[in-house]
Amino acid sequence: MAELCWEDFETGQTLEYGGHTVTKEEIVEFARDFDPQIFHLDEEAAKDHFFGGLIASGWQTAGFTMRMMVDGFLNRSSSQGSPGVAELRWLKPVRPGDRLRVRQTVLSKRASQTRPAIGLIESSFETLNQRDEVVMTMRSTGMFGRRHPGGSAEETEGRS
Amino acid sequence: MSGKRYFEDVKVGVTHEFGAKTVTAEEIVSFASKYDPQPFHLDEEAARRSIFGGLAASGWHTAAMMMRMLVDEHVGESASLGSPGFDDLRWMKPVRPGDRLRVRSTCIDKRESTSKPFMGSCRFQVEVLNQKDEVVMSLISTGLVLKRPAAEG
Repeated sequence: MAELCWEDFETGQTLEYGGHTVTKEEIVEFARDFDPQIFHLDEEAAKDHFFGGLIASGWQTAGFTMRMMVDGFLNRSSSQGSPGVAELRWLKPVRPGDRLRVRQTVLSKRASQTRPAIGLIESSFETLNQRDEVVMTMRSTGMFGRRHPGGSAEETEGRS
Repeated sequence: MSGKRYFEDVKVGVTHEFGAKTVTAEEIVSFASKYDPQPFHLDEEAARRSIFGGLAASGWHTAAMMMRMLVDEHVGESASLGSPGFDDLRWMKPVRPGDRLRVRSTCIDKRESTSKPFMGSCRFQVEVLNQKDEVVMSLISTGLVLKRPAAEG
């Protein structure tokens, strides 16, 4: 049984983890495969563009955030993936040399309606840079195995 | 019409379908190794024991492949200023090695910026489909687009 199961998360709990220093090479490699817009690929061309320099694809910032979540707690947990992301906002550009970390707040938890062995945890996430600026926010749900499948209704908090 | 697709050129209610990406097991493991190293995205055996029942791509990998198809479709056309984000992203079905993905996108509304007269924002219902015509992922994406500059006809 994993160290962290659905039962171990508490509404209002905060977790902080990371960080990752973003390199120019990583930015260009991701952009070449997944987001080949000029301001993610070419440092020279990006200088003249709206963002004033090479910036990471927002999807890569999401990927860095996910990696930090996995290293920070998901791989110690009974994680079983996610049904989705309610909302994500890219607030500030991420540039080579930026150091990112994540701050998470557990918003609610509920039992799965369809799978007795699974519970859901909704959290908000802030990805911050080295200047404590929030570069990205996200509200999303994770599915976690239950230590006690199909438990009592009082284990369910928040909206069912 | 040649050249860039400006804010004025985006048509509300029009659906475009495009892209063809076949994802391999190597790509699934390579992406997951960097961005989502959970066992069910890395190892067939571990994935079989999980909710996924077999190796499945990270949802963020599906999103990244979607982005590639979007950029390839609009390359050189779009006067894009990026995106502030998205809403209501759902991962609905696992994406497996060998799946062939494509994108279906419909502009659902657009509005001019009140603070920045040179641009507007458009919202799109975007779906990623597999070869069985199942929707594997959907989201509502917002794109910021330049308005046609006054000097152009």
